[in-house]
Amino acid sequence: MSIHRLPIRSGELIDRSTNLSFTWNGRTFSGHEGDTIASALAAAGVEVFSRGMKYHRRRGILTANHWDPNLAVQVGDEPNVRAGSRRLVDGMEVTAQNVWPSLRWDLGTANRLVGRFLSAGFYYKTFMRPQFLWHNLYQRVLRKFAPGGRVHWKTGVHGEYDKRYAHPDVLVAGGGPAGMAAALSAAEAGASVMLVEQEPELGGHLRWGGPGDLAVLADLSRAVHSNPGIEVLCDSIVTGRYDHNWVAVVQRSHPVAPERLIKARVGSLIVAPGLVERPYVFAGNDLPGVMLAGAVRRLVNLWAVKPGSRAVVLSANSEGDAAVADLESAGVEVVAVLDARAGEDVVGARGRGRVSSVQTGDGRTLRADLLVTATGWTAPTSLLNMAGDRPLYDRTAARYFPQSLPDNVLATGGIAGDGSTTELTAHGRETGSLAAQRALRLRHARRTQTPRSLPPESDPPDEIADNRIPLRRSPHPERYRSTTHGLVDFSEDVSSKDLIQAAGEGFDSIELMKRYTTVTMGPGQGKLETVNAAAVLAESRAVEMADIGTTVWRPPFSPVSLGALAGRIFEPVRRSALQGWHEANGATNLLAGQWVRPDHYGSPMTEASNVRENVGIIDVTPLGKLDLRGPDVANLLDLVYVNRWQKLEVGRVRYGAMVAEDGVVSDDGVTGRLADNHYLMTTTSSGAGAVWEMLEDWLQTYRPDWEVHVTPVTGGLTSINVAGPRSRELLGRLVEDLDLSADAFPYFSVRKGIVSGVEDCIIWRIGFTGELSYEVHVPSGHALHVWESLLANGSDLGVAPFGVEAQRVLRLEKGHYIVGQDTDGLSKAPTAGLGGLVKLDKADTIGLPELRAAFERTDLPVLVGLQPDEPTVVPDEACQIVAAEGNEILGRVTSSRMSPTLKRSICLAQVDPSLAPAGTSVTIQLVDGRRVSATVQEHHAHVDPEGVRQRV
Amino acid sequence: MYDLEFLSPVSSGPLSTPDGGLSLEDASASTKVLVRAARNTAAGAHLKVTYGRSRHRRDGTLICGSRPGEWTLLADPGRGAELVASLPDEGFVSVVDITHGRAMFRLSGADSIGVLAKVCNIDLADDMTPDGAVFSGSVAKVTCDLVRDDRDAGRSYLISCERSFGGYLFAAMADACAEFGINVPAGLSVH
Repeated sequence: MSIHRLPIRSGELIDRSTNLSFTWNGRTFSGHEGDTIASALAAAGVEVFSRGMKYHRRRGILTANHWDPNLAVQVGDEPNVRAGSRRLVDGMEVTAQNVWPSLRWDLGTANRLVGRFLSAGFYYKTFMRPQFLWHNLYQRVLRKFAPGGRVHWKTGVHGEYDKRYAHPDVLVAGGGPAGMAAALSAAEAGASVMLVEQEPELGGHLRWGGPGDLAVLADLSRAVHSNPGIEVLCDSIVTGRYDHNWVAVVQRSHPVAPERLIKARVGSLIVAPGLVERPYVFAGNDLPGVMLAGAVRRLVNLWAVKPGSRAVVLSANSEGDAAVADLESAGVEVVAVLDARAGEDVVGARGRGRVSSVQTGDGRTLRADLLVTATGWTAPTSLLNMAGDRPLYDRTAARYFPQSLPDNVLATGGIAGDGSTTELTAHGRETGSLAAQRALRLRHARRTQTPRSLPPESDPPDEIADNRIPLRRSPHPERYRSTTHGLVDFSEDVSSKDLIQAAGEGFDSIELMKRYTTVTMGPGQGKLETVNAAAVLAESRAVEMADIGTTVWRPPFSPVSLGALAGRIFEPVRRSALQGWHEANGATNLLAGQWVRPDHYGSPMTEASNVRENVGIIDVTPLGKLDLRGPDVANLLDLVYVNRWQKLEVGRVRYGAMVAEDGVVSDDGVTGRLADNHYLMTTTSSGAGAVWEMLEDWLQTYRPDWEVHVTPVTGGLTSINVAGPRSRELLGRLVEDLDLSADAFPYFSVRKGIVSGVEDCIIWRIGFTGELSYEVHVPSGHALHVWESLLANGSDLGVAPFGVEAQRVLRLEKGHYIVGQDTDGLSKAPTAGLGGLVKLDKADTIGLPELRAAFERTDLPVLVGLQPDEPTVVPDEACQIVAAEGNEILGRVTSSRMSPTLKRSICLAQVDPSLAPAGTSVTIQLVDGRRVSATVQEHHAHVDPEGVRQRV
Repeated sequence: MYDLEFLSPVSSGPLSTPDGGLSLEDASASTKVLVRAARNTAAGAHLKVTYGRSRHRRDGTLICGSRPGEWTLLADPGRGAELVASLPDEGFVSVVDITHGRAMFRLSGADSIGVLAKVCNIDLADDMTPDGAVFSGSVAKVTCDLVRDDRDAGRSYLISCERSFGGYLFAAMADACAEFGINVPAGLSVH
């Protein structure tokens, strides 16, 4: 099978003692440990790996690394796998992407017939008319041609993605010689270091170098791996740099997760990604058999793969020259070496399925199956761009260089300049030292400022100037495009002709051209394409490259899987101390915000009726509870509630409503006075956190002189509402030394006491259900005991638990509104019917000016009780109330249920004030379009509006 | 009062790696008392701990400087009333027994820093967060108070959160521990 596998190479990565079996488009192949998918296939003689996006031309190996645009494949359920860098695993099922029915016979090639319509910006010009075909035809057809693999989201099996946080002093992006040297010197300076390399092993270009390079690599790698201060992450990639040196790393080399997102807060970031070799633009440059010099060198030296038989090499630099030597050592016949430095050129490559001949600039046609180009490099400055840099073009070196960087971002290695391995490592070491010094100064300052850390024992490291000797910029010819046209962007199938056309149409700024043609917008994000695109634009505008500017590279540096971004998903849920009991006793759960709650235990209507007739108990723990202490609590309550609080007596409870600064109702609840300077406030379940924050905000900013301590106690007190005409009798069996009679414990009172032997319970007599009821707040560690005691001691009274749905029915019968359901983000106090509660003559209350204004208005909606005239019709909540004739919206139903007590439908609704008088007939538009009439009631309450039942 | 068992929000027993090198255990029954006082009060002076740090008292109480002007006292179960009574009450001082309101776990072992790094974004390096450090942060998206309280010269953290999150957070912590060799029991899942 391995017809192109060479004899052992000194730096090869493969372990020939292993044999890994895998399939490619259904055929079985084998490779070795250390092979990439592409190298194993190439060794087996595979030449075509994919098809071009638009024209579906055959594509072979171009760069043989992570950035190869022609090597995106599907591996099992995982799409868009980089076959140029993904290591082979036994049993892999690899298939080509975006081809149909097969890679060999792909019907997409028919696109070539309409190729002239697929030029730059074709999608802005086509598929416009007739408009109705967009959904019916165009969209469906275009979807078929969408590039990329497939996610089998219903049946796919994958591991759980993961994430972690890290705080290294220094993070080095790039594990080449300069990056490794930087990591070592930073660690030696005392910094904690994270070294990130996108390939599965360290070394960068040293890996495919000669014996000298391999010796340096071995020394550096050994030193790095043995240094405990360096965490090495190979097969990982730095995908973005954000504010304050927040750096994202996607780690693929972790044993427990397919990918792990590392969120690193970094002291200093060293950017050392090396250089990316760029393709040359000429006719036929996308034919299989056209490869970059680096690709050839990697195939030969890392994976012992013979890339062809007869080669033509176009070389403008030492990498091309080295490729010639590598090819010869691999037994490839080098037909011709064209020296681009001397003006020699390639104008075309031809062949069916693979290169068979090469046309040179001087008119020769050379028979060859391999054309190797070495025409320069792109500096992948993405991470520097993300730090605010705008790299500058240097025509002498024919590439871009960093311009100005913040102190906490440094560049080294090829991105910063040229040099021998010794010079690159020396620069790396200096950069590492500088980065460490800056990071350690920052850490020293953080330790000084962070209360939890111990003060540093020593002074901060001295500030040292950046005295690094800059790496030189070696001259390199500007060779971007031949005299013919070819592809600039291999991912997007954008040619130099397309770019020139776009410039001619007026899209002649690099940013506009990018968006119009999609050049540089493929998976490589411009690593291979940016410089060539700028060069073609400069050529078409007849200006210097430096005047073209660059596109802005944004995160991610390399495509990131959605799984990695999602990471391990945390969705906190809250459970009361009784939730286990609810679930064990048949409760159907409801997720209310973060709380898991029992919606019902089988029949909400039966549960509600039992409360009206006997006694029920409900777990209302999510009710927000705040312990308020201090001599100024009454002042605070006066400030945040719309009513008065100065005269609330110890042992009494009062209802209060809050409005925001704009007068909109924001929360409500009851607050009881437990002692002179001790209160317990309740809030809505969903508003607990916001109210706590609001109280602290006002105390800390507006009235820091007030002595009030606020402590949230929501989860610490399990709240049990005992409701129904027999609730007094039931609770009376469990309390100690507490008189529950109406005289001793009247409505809206609070007592502390012992319930079923549990001390420190707080009991208040209030009634959300409209029945005689007691709310018992029990220390949560003993709540189950109290709950079970209530059930055990009330069986003869008909006690039964009831859930949230029954409670909603009961409160609607009673006409109690719920903030956020019966009010909305515009509902001011008059709408909610708080006219009797609001005291506009108070000295201060949050939202007071708006309240005063609101009560002068006559146009605000009014919350009313409403009963459909047809008693079996229950309008859905949010159904609109409309004019009897026409479609004018005059309100909406905010709550609706069938009342088990009245045996009819009941509602609360917000209506236009003209409809608010009792007896007014309104029209409700149902979800199915029917219209029904309903009558406005005199009260919000449908049951016992006088409150007789709860005041007994 | 009856001798009632404290019902923890965590239903699982202690979890540990086979070699005991990493362990996660429920400590919710521990006494927890919250003290809020101005720095110039007798209570503030009595506690002698600055914000962000903690110290062990001879009686076994761990005094934590939770926030400026706020301390949390952690002790063995059943000592709430004793601790509340022990604090000077001159000046404006609030003492609240929050034993029932907070779930608490102890995470111990050399790998505990790795476990926390999966769920918490605080820098836990020894110099930034040494033994005795008290801090607050998000742990698996739940607001928590943490104390580094090393045991037997080994790294150990006390992690507490609002009680109702306790079951979820214990499961999330156990899930994070799995990578380091803790076998997570069936039914203790966050997914």
